[in-house]
Amino acid sequence: MQDDHDDISKLLRLKRFEQPPPEYFESFLQEFKDRQRAQLLREPVWRIAWDRMCAFFGEQLPVRIGYGLASTAVLAAAGIASFNILESRPVEVAATPEPLPAAQTASLNLDSQVQLPDLPSLAHTASFSTPRYVMDTRPVLYEPPSSF
Amino acid sequence: MAEAAPVNPDIELVTRTQSGDARAFDELVVKYTPRLYGLVYNMTSNHEDANDLLQEVFAKAFRSISGFRGKSSFYTWIHSIAVNMTINFLKKRGRRFQMSLDDVDLNIQNDKEFIELTATSSPVREADLGELQQRLNEAMLKLSPEHRAVVTMFDIQGMPHAEISKVLGVSEGTVRSRLFYAHRQLQAYLEEFRKK
Repeated sequence: MQDDHDDISKLLRLKRFEQPPPEYFESFLQEFKDRQRAQLLREPVWRIAWDRMCAFFGEQLPVRIGYGLASTAVLAAAGIASFNILESRPVEVAATPEPLPAAQTASLNLDSQVQLPDLPSLAHTASFSTPRYVMDTRPVLYEPPSSF
Repeated sequence: MAEAAPVNPDIELVTRTQSGDARAFDELVVKYTPRLYGLVYNMTSNHEDANDLLQEVFAKAFRSISGFRGKSSFYTWIHSIAVNMTINFLKKRGRRFQMSLDDVDLNIQNDKEFIELTATSSPVREADLGELQQRLNEAMLKLSPEHRAVVTMFDIQGMPHAEISKVLGVSEGTVRSRLFYAHRQLQAYLEEFRKK
């Protein structure tokens, strides 16, 4: 068995002598340069730029760009979905104080004794307008804390 | 005083190419063309295909050389490019191939090793040289591209297993296994010829 494999190896070694004439190797470099120049003239600029980018970042660039685009698309879709969910939630509008009567606003000056809206209720309204976030597992309370 | 380690001439040429010296790359082309031609030609068995592929191999190497970090030798790196491009080409080409042996130089008759082989081996002695080459090429073309690559590098180019494993990115065990399987296949294909 080993002898057979040796014979095969000997026969295969003969193939190393299958060489083109020496002139071929002498003219190869010139042909290479000519082809390079011709290719530069033929190829569009974007293709050359793409090849250079691939060469700079490595062979896996197209794959990495694909992964990057896919990840960006997933993140964008998740963002849009989240935004739509938040938008569709019913928003409670805070009670606005009654507008002052026209006669009363007309006579408004520093000396007037105008009844101002109840301050605690305004504070309550302000607390509604600012966003609140769930920071733990307890439900959010929309009522002001009863005691401090 | 310790002597400085000799600088690998390939590394120097690569560094010069990376800094914009295109002539340095020309030197690499001249240096590696005969060896890579042998590799690509023996995998394709066609001179025109080998020539076109070799041009593309060097073009790709030139485009990618800025990304060469020296993790492997330039020799291994350029061989990897050549083998991978040739395997891809062979897979695309499939069975549509034509052998072109007319252009190759048959300087084999003057080789000492060939004379010794033909003097000691009766099947080869009686065989016509052209037929021998044709049979070998036909047998090679029946191998898969991966097996052909291993046989070309080991048997024809005399590369060690370790170097082939680096070029192909597989283990040495895989190289040995592919080689054994390829030899067995070639043996079966050449059996008829060897019995003549």
